Amino acid sequence: MFYRLAGVRHTTYRSARQLYPIPFDRYLLYTIVVIAIAAPFLFSPLTLNSYLLPWVIWSTAALGLNLLMGWAGQVHLGYAAVMAIGAYTAIHSVRAGIPFEIALILAGLASAAIGFVFGGAALRVKGLYLAVTTLAMQSIVDWTIVHVPAISGGSQATLQAPTLRIFGWPIESDAGRYWFALAICAVVTSFLLNVSRTSLGRALVAVREKDFAAAIIGVNPFKYKLLAFWCSSFIGGIAGAVLAFCYYRAVTPEQFHLEVSIQAVAMVIVGGLGSVLGSFFGAGLVLLAPIFLNNLVNDIAVALNLPLHAEIISHIPLVLYGALIVGFLLYEPLGLAKVYDNVRNYFFVWPFRHARH
Amino acid sequence: MLTLENIEVVYDQVFLAIKGVSLEVAEGGAVALLGSNGAGKSTTLKAISGLLAPERGKVTRGEVRFRGQDLRNLSAPERVRLGIAHVLEGRHVFGHLTPLENLIAATSMHKSRAKVNELAERVFEWFPRLKQRANAQAGYLSGGEQQMLAIGRALMTEPKLLMLDEPSLGLAPFLVDEIFDIISRIVRETGMSILLVEQNAAAALAIVDHAYLIDNGRIVMSGTSQALAQNPDVQEFYLGGTGRVDYHNVKHYRRRKRWLA
Repeated sequence: MFYRLAGVRHTTYRSARQLYPIPFDRYLLYTIVVIAIAAPFLFSPLTLNSYLLPWVIWSTAALGLNLLMGWAGQVHLGYAAVMAIGAYTAIHSVRAGIPFEIALILAGLASAAIGFVFGGAALRVKGLYLAVTTLAMQSIVDWTIVHVPAISGGSQATLQAPTLRIFGWPIESDAGRYWFALAICAVVTSFLLNVSRTSLGRALVAVREKDFAAAIIGVNPFKYKLLAFWCSSFIGGIAGAVLAFCYYRAVTPEQFHLEVSIQAVAMVIVGGLGSVLGSFFGAGLVLLAPIFLNNLVNDIAVALNLPLHAEIISHIPLVLYGALIVGFLLYEPLGLAKVYDNVRNYFFVWPFRHARH
Repeated sequence: MLTLENIEVVYDQVFLAIKGVSLEVAEGGAVALLGSNGAGKSTTLKAISGLLAPERGKVTRGEVRFRGQDLRNLSAPERVRLGIAHVLEGRHVFGHLTPLENLIAATSMHKSRAKVNELAERVFEWFPRLKQRANAQAGYLSGGEQQMLAIGRALMTEPKLLMLDEPSLGLAPFLVDEIFDIISRIVRETGMSILLVEQNAAAALAIVDHAYLIDNGRIVMSGTSQALAQNPDVQEFYLGGTGRVDYHNVKHYRRRKRWLA
């Protein structure tokens, strides 16, 4: 119905190989991009600062983790630690007088270097064993940050982020910070959209599906697993730096604890492993659902004048949130991206029921 | 005994793999399901044994009945308890267990230990090679031995209907003959029904009495095994021609499949 295929005839290789060959997909993307760019004028500052900005930044982080978990098939339970390394590197670099653009890249490189070392474990261990190894990375990085005053600025200290300056231009408005985060997100998104079409993406998927089968066709699992850890940690470091500069504007060790890692993994799994769109959906659900549920439960309690204890009211959203995640995964184990895909497939063949096999 | 009526199987909500297949296996009968790759043979077997769910497939229409009982709402283990055993394509033996342990693993429905031992003894009698390797790790058995173990494991459930999915896959012709001989012997001795999916049409037609030909998700031909073996289309496309070519009457066009697919 919507996704009309009639009349889509490719006469050049260029048009056949474009990212979105179906016009409706393209128009949908244009609309979303326009809304995303115009968001500071369309939405209230509250919506922009507390919903859209974290959504955009966490989607970037989820994309990075998805590259590792969804494409390369390596579990990572220490992604928050990777982001912490990026955040602290960026803040210390800028404080030392390094321009922000270079500090951002340094953040990525520092995360990538440390993530790469721990990723070396993936060459020997797989699956649950790798999960435990990356968990160890989380603990080690947490401990190091808290116990080395040179990094954290002393125990329980908060490091204020200096003003964001891009090419010397100070960015002090909410809209400016949002646009900066959006730009980073767009770069990472287009990187990931294109990864699936390159030999790198195919090699990563081959390693995910069966690493010895990949080895037998000439794909070096050693190289690609490390490369996946490197790329994913680089993106994680950048996302951590953006999170520290644009959203929190300060950094404390608590922002990057284990539960944040678990949250990142939840985003990837709920959204859909190996799906760019899924990373956005997953980040949206994990991040925004608790806020919306909280407001909803509060509004209902007020509207119906329910004599409920404040503690109960604050716990109901958590229960609903858990139920929501379980419900979505039971309904569609492959994540929210697959839910969208099912709808899309349905309209693809509508009014017929089945696709040609 | 087993009746499929117009079943449709849809994968991943939209891909229609089986488009209304009906077939019947009589009590004590031996039936073959032939067809090219991707025709829907294995999917049909999975619809009967209840293994579609892990592959995101679903029977959306039609009826699957076994001895008058509707199977659609039963899980795979419940269907095994009714007497349907499925030997999967590609064997899937438990590699870290020994052959004997593999056999015992399939006996959760039997309460008495004596019966389990008796069944294992019987399997070892049918497949003497397994007895020789009874204490090796199953992962280190050869392909043929693993296939024997997979069949033996299915027999431990005392099936009334044994479904075999490509038992000849990747085996030497000599071993294929041996396995098919043993299968015919088991059928003779136990009187169970078999439903056989095979690429090796000649070997399959030799041991069954009835066969169905499936193409592109539909049954396109059915009949006794002799009738199918003599059908010119089946000979051309599944039995590899009649062997000798008469160059006086050679046709200058390629033979087409005549059934309406």
